[in-house]
Amino acid sequence: MTPSFDDFVAEQVTPLLRYATVLTCDPHLAQDVVQEVLLRAQQKWDRIGSVDLPHAYVKRMVTNEYLSWRRRRAAKDVALCMTTLESVTPPVSDTTHHYDEREAMLQRIAKLPRKQRAAIVLRYYENYEDSEIAQMLGCAEGTVRSHISRALATLRMEHTPQPAGVGLRLGEGLS
Amino acid sequence: MNDTEQLIKEALGQLAERTPHPGPTLNALRRKRKRQRNNIFLIATAGVAAVAVLIFAGVVASDRYAPPAHNDAAAALMPTNSGAQGVEIRYTPHWLPNGYVETFRSVGDETTRVWVPASAKEQDPTQQTGAARVSLRNLRSLPDLAGWAETSVRGLKAWVRTVQGQSLGTTTELVWRAQEVLSVSVRGEGNGQETAMRVADSVRADAKIRYLAPFTLDGKPASDIWGSTLNRWTAQWRSEQVVVTLSTSAPAQAGGTPVTVRGKEGAIAGDTLVVRDSGLWLTVSGGSLSTDELVHTAGRVSLQHMEHPDTNWIGKGL
Repeated sequence: MTPSFDDFVAEQVTPLLRYATVLTCDPHLAQDVVQEVLLRAQQKWDRIGSVDLPHAYVKRMVTNEYLSWRRRRAAKDVALCMTTLESVTPPVSDTTHHYDEREAMLQRIAKLPRKQRAAIVLRYYENYEDSEIAQMLGCAEGTVRSHISRALATLRMEHTPQPAGVGLRLGEGLS
Repeated sequence: MNDTEQLIKEALGQLAERTPHPGPTLNALRRKRKRQRNNIFLIATAGVAAVAVLIFAGVVASDRYAPPAHNDAAAALMPTNSGAQGVEIRYTPHWLPNGYVETFRSVGDETTRVWVPASAKEQDPTQQTGAARVSLRNLRSLPDLAGWAETSVRGLKAWVRTVQGQSLGTTTELVWRAQEVLSVSVRGEGNGQETAMRVADSVRADAKIRYLAPFTLDGKPASDIWGSTLNRWTAQWRSEQVVVTLSTSAPAQAGGTPVTVRGKEGAIAGDTLVVRDSGLWLTVSGGSLSTDELVHTAGRVSLQHMEHPDTNWIGKGL
């Protein structure tokens, strides 16, 4: 039975927002992307609601929307401003010394080209296989492996582990 | 999984914890959906309004056409090339008294179409016989309206009068100004004014109707054509000096001085030259023209559309 669009939204809006936030590194952009996608999905709900996995379909729409987002306010610029992230949801307390390293890694991820970033998110956040990522991004598996390989090389090259307690101060010089 | 990959997972997990609350997204979605519905309503309303305006404009102004630019005025008033596209007739009535057929068309300074009862179609419409007829003309300007009664044609100001002309019976003339001045005249009908009003009400612009002259003289099309059937017709070109006629019927003139014209043997009697060409009779008349000038004029006539002459309309009703 086809779920109603309202039921779908009630159930999936949070997972979609979470995915979009990780994908875009920008909660505001994530909200915009999800809104646009849900509006379009609503117009075609007769068809989307009848596919086997509507949430997977809409998730792919979110990915495509992010990859084709043409706004001047590029995600990587926004992602560098930690105050933007904090204004939406303050960071949870983290008592471990890895906190600053994770923030630094986030900034590096945010600088990646969009397709590389999407491949990294699908691999390490969604735990997708290469074939699933290829399907999601609409490219060959070899291209996926290439995206991930290049992204990892960039992230490793820039990754310099910080000694415990000497972290980057949030938002410092990053906007 | 190495340290970098582990750090990536942790960083993305940390970012996921900053997912915004769905409330603002749901509210924005709700607002946009409402706006979308309103837009659809507005678009639908605007569409209905636009259709209504188009229908209204079509009904009220369908008998209007864009007037020619000033520098094209002369060309519009005196066509110089009938060519393959012909001369626009522009207007057609969609109601006529029962049994009327078209027997005459004229283009040039003014455009005229004439319909007569089918029983009278053999009569020469260029002669004032007094027989019943309905004509539609577009005029260069309004006539002197002194003595005319005001009326309206489909909401447009109009004037009407009934006169006793040279012919038998009365003629009702109705004139109105669209973007062009149009005139309907009715002769030999019981209630001329009512018939004229009804014909005028049915007149619409018709870009498809064109006049294809059967011949041209120096590129200028024959201005008049009349007849009773598609195979019995006469076309005429006239100026102050010369009248050129092309007809399916033999002229009254018989005999005359033989003369070679258009590579064929013709005859000249008095001020009229006659030659048969392509199965048609070509006549050139001009009181002030010499024999050579008559022959030269005949040589400048160019027959047009001979394989498919535009005469299908002759003797037919609406």
